[in-house]
This record gives sequence, structure tokens and C-alpha cells, in this order.
Amino acid sequence: MKKKIMAAILAGAVLTACIPIQAFAGEEKTFVYGTTGYSEEMGDAGLNPHDNYSGWSAVRYGVGETLFKYNDNMEVEPWLATDYEFVDDTTVKITLRDGVKFSSGRTMDAQAVKECLDDLIAVHDRAPSDLKIDHIEAEGLTLTICTAEPCPALINYLGDPYGAIIDMEYGIQGEGGSANVAGTGPYIATEVTPAQITLVKNEDYWGGDVKVDKVTVKSFSDGSALTAALQTGDVQGTYGLQYDNYVLFDGNPDYTINSCATSRCFFGQFNFDSEIMQDENVRKAVAMGIDKEGFCSVIMEGRGLPASAAFPDSFSYGNKAVTTVSYDPEGARELLEESGWTDTDGDGYLDKDGKKLTINWLTYPTRLEQPKLAEYAQSTLKEIGIDVTVNNTSDHMTYAQKGDFDVYVSSLTTAPTGDPEYFFTSTVTGPKNYGNYQNEEVTELTEKLHQTFDIQERSSLAVELQQKLLDDNAMFFVSHLNMGIVTKSNVTGMAAHPCDYYEITAELDVE
Amino acid sequence: MLKYIVKRLLQLIPVLIGITFLSFAMMRLAGGDAVTYMYENAGTSVSQEVIDEAKKEYGLDQPFLVQYGRWFAGMITGDMGVSYVSDRDVYDTFVEKLPATIFLMLSSVALTMLISVPLGIISAVRHNRWADYLIRFLSFIGNSMPNFFAALVLMYFLSVKLGWLPVITSENLALSLILPTLTLAVSMAAKYTRQVRATVLEELNKDYVAGAMARGVKGSVIIWRNVMKVSMLTIITLLALSVGSLLGGTTIVETIFMWDGVGKMAVDAITMRDYPIVQAYVAWMAVIYVLVNLVTDIIYHYLDPRVRLAR
Amino acid sequence: MTNEKITVRKQKIKRNHTKGKLIFFSAVTVLLLLTAAFAGYLCPYDPDEQNLLLAQQPPSLSHLLGTDRFGRDMFSRVLAGSTISIYATLILVAVVTAVGTLVGMICGWFGKGADTVLMRVSDLFLAFPSLVFALAVAGVLGGGIQNAVIALAVIGWPKFARLARGLTMAQKDAPYIMAARLSGCSTPGILIKHVLPNIAGPVLVTAVLDIGTMMMELAGLSFLGLGVQPPAAEWGSMINDGRSMLQISPWMALAPGAAIFITVMIFNLLGDTLRDYIDPKQRG
Repeated sequence: MKKKIMAAILAGAVLTACIPIQAFAGEEKTFVYGTTGYSEEMGDAGLNPHDNYSGWSAVRYGVGETLFKYNDNMEVEPWLATDYEFVDDTTVKITLRDGVKFSSGRTMDAQAVKECLDDLIAVHDRAPSDLKIDHIEAEGLTLTICTAEPCPALINYLGDPYGAIIDMEYGIQGEGGSANVAGTGPYIATEVTPAQITLVKNEDYWGGDVKVDKVTVKSFSDGSALTAALQTGDVQGTYGLQYDNYVLFDGNPDYTINSCATSRCFFGQFNFDSEIMQDENVRKAVAMGIDKEGFCSVIMEGRGLPASAAFPDSFSYGNKAVTTVSYDPEGARELLEESGWTDTDGDGYLDKDGKKLTINWLTYPTRLEQPKLAEYAQSTLKEIGIDVTVNNTSDHMTYAQKGDFDVYVSSLTTAPTGDPEYFFTSTVTGPKNYGNYQNEEVTELTEKLHQTFDIQERSSLAVELQQKLLDDNAMFFVSHLNMGIVTKSNVTGMAAHPCDYYEITAELDVE
Repeated sequence: MLKYIVKRLLQLIPVLIGITFLSFAMMRLAGGDAVTYMYENAGTSVSQEVIDEAKKEYGLDQPFLVQYGRWFAGMITGDMGVSYVSDRDVYDTFVEKLPATIFLMLSSVALTMLISVPLGIISAVRHNRWADYLIRFLSFIGNSMPNFFAALVLMYFLSVKLGWLPVITSENLALSLILPTLTLAVSMAAKYTRQVRATVLEELNKDYVAGAMARGVKGSVIIWRNVMKVSMLTIITLLALSVGSLLGGTTIVETIFMWDGVGKMAVDAITMRDYPIVQAYVAWMAVIYVLVNLVTDIIYHYLDPRVRLAR
Repeated sequence: MTNEKITVRKQKIKRNHTKGKLIFFSAVTVLLLLTAAFAGYLCPYDPDEQNLLLAQQPPSLSHLLGTDRFGRDMFSRVLAGSTISIYATLILVAVVTAVGTLVGMICGWFGKGADTVLMRVSDLFLAFPSLVFALAVAGVLGGGIQNAVIALAVIGWPKFARLARGLTMAQKDAPYIMAARLSGCSTPGILIKHVLPNIAGPVLVTAVLDIGTMMMELAGLSFLGLGVQPPAAEWGSMINDGRSMLQISPWMALAPGAAIFITVMIFNLLGDTLRDYIDPKQRG
């Protein structure tokens, strides 16, 4: 009996707790935003741009702004700066926008920006090697940056979210995932935790009137929960919805899907240390045996665009500028036959000298699409007689570094700052060249790219380099990820951007 | 009694050393390091110098035994280091997440007992009647349903279809506790109902029950006074295991409902090779188990005089 | 006077009933195991054959359980998946239960030093988070389902050891044990003939109920590379794969889910009946 009473009391308590606390509906406009892109694991919790990837959050949620921003073609545009001029190879003069105020009340001038950048290169891990800043001079609204060596991509790098300008006098309030800062953006953070950010409108925003009064950014770690939250209306906008869930909102007038191809690219590296892969015909055949169209349209359900090379169409040196093989099982078979691979034992797989044509496909599951790609490629490559063993593991780095693979499929934001150099210095000649691909010409061209200031010339060098990679069959590029923002249809002013940095802006409105 | 407890608590020390050393060695064997993983997961790459620099900063370039020695010395003095990934104090991070885990453990165990004890008894008393079959069938379903499945189904019906509960909320604790608690209780209650049924059934067949029946003692009295007391032994053994594993966090439920507990933290730390967090977690698990077992043994002692505490 | 006769009759009916049930469920279990063993020959389609034109088809006459994202026949995949899912799990549960029960009985019976040492060892493993262990196993032994089984087996036995220990301790001083001792039974004899049957009930129920959980746990390690690699079918990973599709193509998760449910149910019913049959007291 006692238990029954206890049960009744408990049940009562639970029911009472169920009654929702009614929020007072005032005149103010609110917006709740659910994202899978904000968390401590991703390294972007908190708003301190000088800490790891937290600058992404500062820029994404409208708190911080950078000196330059990227337009839809990933070209640099002025933002907090209005103009720049290279005085010589190592000196650049930047003119700052007049009348910009930090949310702390301080006016943004060259001195404030200098303080911020000085701190950035003192504490950040990636910035110093990107920017190569030697010293900075400040005078009024003119900022002069002197680099230790020529840094043609300096302006691009300043648009990286780590370059968000904050008031160093106000400083960093809180640490790590709870760090708050005073930026110049349309919103001011009132509460920052690794799971949630509360933002209020910046009444003094230099860029005009901000339309929404209060924004809450909520971190989600499960895609299905995010889908459900959008369906129930718990959130009115989402970032990072799982690609196979779009179909629930596609064509539904209650929701708006805004998507655009990003420079996140799924690509494969061949291992040049592997005996089988040293045969160019085999590499080419593998590339020809992957059905990019089918993968993007069916497996990724249209959330990806077929890639020819490292950069999406919106870039001047993007896909269209290069030529590569297309899906051609017949041609692949011929190539393999040319190299002496035939099916002598009739098991459906090709062999040579008694050895089956088996390739080891290394990938990892963090990006849901990658195991799917492996599974699909396994099937299409089987058609041409290549046996694919998939090694899908979160421990991929160990295998990759040991060179224990034939094909390593990963994904990378190839142009995080709208500049092509990064991809080549990291993946082709740098630490991510796991396949040990060596081509002197490519190394020279990369070095040349590193020295070139002229944007046109950089662009054509990028095209030339990509074409070399494809001609050598060093890599194959499968797909560019479509980044999507799905909102309730009464939400406007939220657009997906190819660089993935700008989400909540002054344009945001809820009708 | 006190002496016994102290003695058991002293046993914690070898377990703690054993476990942490083992895990330290294992994380080493498993390969990979946090610094490389962190940059990799963010999808951009940095030069080898930056990685080496970061490794040095965290002491990852030191020999294994030195790393372990340092860590253990730190732990004793209450300094568990900083996370490689978030750069935050490990102890603080951990303590921050504990209340959520403990809360969820308590609510789900309570709900589980509330469901499974009555159902198990009904099922045993009505052995092989329709009520028994129905309860057993439901428990099969509950048991073969993976946690995330239950979570998504509950979320779909209670939130999306009926609109009774928000998917996640941070404003109202009681409200946000319901879905995760229900999810955990579904599979646990299914399991416990079966256990309660099995043990009660076993007791009901004993001679003393027949004797009590013959003396005209009421059925309900026999069940609650005698049968349950004995059946409790089995239930408590299982309960101890459940409490232990629940205190270790419930990754899937925590992930889906954004319930910020230690389970998700641990799995993230494992995938990211964030040694300090993993080590703290392993140490925490060691402490839980020793304590839970101690409490279980003490309860055993009071419930069943046949079981004597080891001297 | 008639009272006794009725009791005798009742006993007879019940025993026969139990025996019949046992035979029936054993037959069903054997059928299940045979299906799992020869699944490859029973599939209507090649379980690995992809056809994107047929992706995510709902169940129909030609595809009884629909198709997955690659256009593969779900029915064939569920059938093909039974081999790995059922056998890997059975081996795992059997090993864990046998080792755990043995250790638990030794501890519960002998107490003292053996108990202390073995229980501390089991504490070590019980307290050790399985994921950390699995990660190390993956790092040292590499991927594959067999290593996943090894990882979970090493970490899983103490649970049964504790259960068996508690049960054995409770039986140890029972009068019937005393009687057996007095009649000159050897210790192993007592443990096997008398203690084991009396603790088998709860142990079996727990083991059988663990089958479903273990299937999911095996699948849960796949992100560490421990588990089956594509294109092999395995129920746990099929459910995981269909997880995000519950609202869109529910059959992708429900089909393997139902397969696990049916398997667990069959083993449960078998376990129950088996317990009824071997437990001497339940026969009355």
C-alpha cells in the first residue's frame, strides 16, 4: 500500500512538472536556432576567436565580424575594413570603417584592431603561420601590417573567423566553451555555454537596424533530435540537418530550405607506395569506376554536387575549369586489361599473376556520407572486377599515417579562406599527402603559387595544379557537400553561404 | 561494521591504480593522439610544427611511465590536468556533468522499480494466464528494442505527433527529464520485470509459502513480507549493476536529448583520444563500482542473514 | 484421501506439458539456427546487389521488407545478416555466461582468498569502461567482428560472476547442500549437481535477455572499426543505418529490429522452458 501511495505521489509530481511554464508573449521577436555545428568536441564552443575554432561561432552567430568577408563566389570583400593596398611585398595598408563600435561601447579604431591581432598571433595556434605578421602599426583608422615574408593570401586569411575583431580592453569573459567577447556584430551574447548561446539585438549596430530582438542558439548532437525539434517548432531554424532528412521538409510550404555548395569536398587519395596503385591504369580505372552522379543524387539525395576537382563551381578556379574522367565502367575494364588484369578464374574479380585485384579503401564514419560512398563504390567497382575491402574506422589517422591503405577517402574544407593555396600546401605537398604523391612540377607550381600576388594568376595556377593532379591520377574528387539551412517558412534573411561562416546576420527576420 | 567499510574502502586503492594504469596503457596501445585528431575533426589541417608544439605543451612527447606518474601524482593532489581538446580543467568539466548523470540515474531507476516490481509480481502470481503472457510479451519488446529506437519512437509520438513534450529544453528540468527517463526505463523495466517474475516464481514454490498459505496468511502479505524480501537479493544484485552503468553515463540518451552527462563526454573523449578526460572517467568508474558493490553487500547483509560479510 | 491422487495427476500433466514445450521451442531454435547457418541459400536476391533505381522502396510483393538506400532487398539482407548476428552473439553470450558462472560459483562457494582475488579482478573489469577497452582491442588486434566479440567477452563475464556468486552464497548453507555433503558428495559434485541447477534459473534468464542487448552492443562498436565492414549485413548496424530514416523509410530499421525481436523472443521462451524443466522445484 505504501508503495502505491508513493507511486501516486510520484506520478502526481511528474504530471505537475509537465504543465509548461507559459512564457509571456511580448512584442519582442525571438528566434531559436538549432545547430549540430556548435559543440566542445568540434572545438568551436565559446566565442573567443583567438581560441581554436571558436571564432567560427563568433562570426556564425553574429557577434564578431572580420576585416574582410567572402562573397558568394568566395572573393574577398570589405567588411570592417573598407580598403587595402599592398605597399610592397611585405607591407599592407588597411583602411578601417568609420563609426563602428564594439558592444562594450569602445570605438573601433586601428589601435583596437592592432591590440586584437597582436593577441591573436600571440595565442592562436594556426594564425601566426598563416598571417606571418611581423609587426603592426596603428594610426587613426589606418592599420599597417608588416609581414616577415611575402604573404599574398594575407587579406584572405584576415577573413578567416579567427580574425574576428574583438575589444581586448573588454577582454575575454569566461573561458573555453563559456567565453564571451565584445564584438562589432548585430548581436551581443548575454549568456554563453558549450550547449547554448543567448543573443540580444545590438541597438548600435553600424550596419543598420537589427530585426530580431532575441536569438537562442542551441547545440544538438543528434540529427534525428534536430529534425524532431524543427517539426515540433522547438526551433525555427536548423543548421546541419542530416542529409537524408531533408525529404521531410522538401516541398512542404511550412519550411524553407536554403542550400549551397560549400568547399567541403569528399575526395580520395591513392597510395603511391602501394604496389598495385603505382600502376596509373589502375588508379585511373578506380576513378572511372565511381559513379559520382548516382552517389550525389541517390545516396546523398541531392545534398551533394558531383565534383571534378577540389573547388566547387562558384569559384573561378572551380570544377568547370578542369577536365577529368567520368563514370565509364567499360573504359575502366579496358584500361585494366591493358595492364594485364584479367579474370582468369571466373570469380568475377580480375587477377594478374595469380593475385586478385583487391584494393583497401580506408575511410572514417564521422562524416556519414563517407561509409556510404565506400559501400557504393564497392558495388560499382565490383562491376569492373575490382574487389574493394572497406576499412571504416575512427582510427583512420593511424592507418593513413602508416600508409596502410590503397585509397584513403576523407573530406576537407578545401578553401576555408577563399584562397586555393591552403589545399595544395596541406594535402598535396604538406602533411596530409598520405599517399606520398611526388611530382616536382607540382611542388614547383605550389611554391610559385605561394609567391604570387596577382589574383588572376593565382587562380590560373590553381587550375593548372588541379589539372596536374587529375592527369597524374593522384586523387579523385567525388562530391562537394551542400550546406543547408532549413527554417520555418516565416523566417527570412538566413542564407547558406559557400564558406559556412555566415549564418545569423542583421538580415535575419521572423514574420 | 565500520571496520569492514574502511577495509573495503581501502580496497579501492589497488582497483584504482590497476584500472587507471591499464587504461593509460591501453589508450597508448590504441594509437592516435588527441592533437592530430582535433585538427583532423575540424576538417582543416595545420603544419607538423603546430602539432608538435601542441604535443609538447601537453607533455605527449614524454615517455609513457613519466606521463602516467605525472598523471597519478596529479590525481592524488586533486589536479587531473586539462583537457587536450577544450583546454579546460578536467576536474571542473567532470563535476559539472555529474549532477545531470546522477539525476537521470535516480529518476530512471525509480521509474523502473515502479513499473517492474508490480508487473513482475502480477506476472508471477498470474503465472501462465493472459496477464502473464501480455506482460512477458511487452517485456520482450522492451528488451529487444535498442535505446535509441525507444528514444526516437517516444520522441516521435510524444513530441512530434502529440506535441506534449518539447524535444529538448533547458528551461524546465522536470520537463526535460521525462523523455530520457522514459527511454531508459523502457528497456530496464522490461529486464527487471522478467527478473522479478523469475525470482518471485521461484520463491512461491518454496515450502514456507505453502506453509504460510496453509496457516491462512493472506496472499498479499506473503508476497510483500516474505517473498519480496528474498527476491530482493537478486533484484539488488542487478540493480547495483544498473546503477553502476547508469552512473557511467548513457551515451545514446545523452546524445539524443542533449542531456549533458558524463557518458557522451566519455565517448567523445575516447574518439578524440582526449586522455585526461578518459582517465578521469575511468577513475570515476572505478570509484562507482567499489562504492556500489560495498553498498550492495551491506544491503545483502541486512536483507539476508544467510549472507555474512567477509571478515 | 483423494487429495493425494489429484496432486500426482497434476504433476504428471505439468511435467509432460513442460517437456512438450521444451521440445517445441528447441525445434524452433534449431530451425532458427539452421536458417542462420544456411541463410546464404535462402535469399531471394543477392543481398549485396545494389540498384539505385530501386532505392528506398516500401515493402511490396517483390521486396517483402522493402529496399535500403542502395536499392538492396531488405528481406535478403535480414536473412543474410542472421548468420553473423546470431552466431556472433550466441558465442559471446555463451562464453560470458559460462566463464562468469564458473568464477562466480567458485567465489561464492569457497569464499576467502579465492573470492577476494577473483572479485577484485572482476571489479577491475566491471569498472573498466567497455569502450575504452574496445578501443584498445581495435588498436592492437585490428578491426573485425571477431575482435568485437573478444572485446565484449573480456569485459562482460564479471557481470555473471557477481550474479552467480550472490546466488551461490545464498545456496551454500541450505539444508539440502548439507545433506549432500553428509552423504559424501565431492565439492565439484555438489557444485555441478546441486548448486548449478538451483542457480541456473536466474542466470539463464539474464543470459537469454542479454542476447538482444549484446547484438546492439556489438553493433555499437562498429564506429571503432570493430564489427562487420561493408557490404556484409549485420542486424545491429542495419538498425543503426536505418535510424535516421525512421520517419521516412521506417522499414529500414524495423525489419532488422523485428528480426532481433523474434530471435530474442525465441531464445527467451526456450530459456524459460528450459529453466522450468531443469529446476526440480518448479516441477511440483
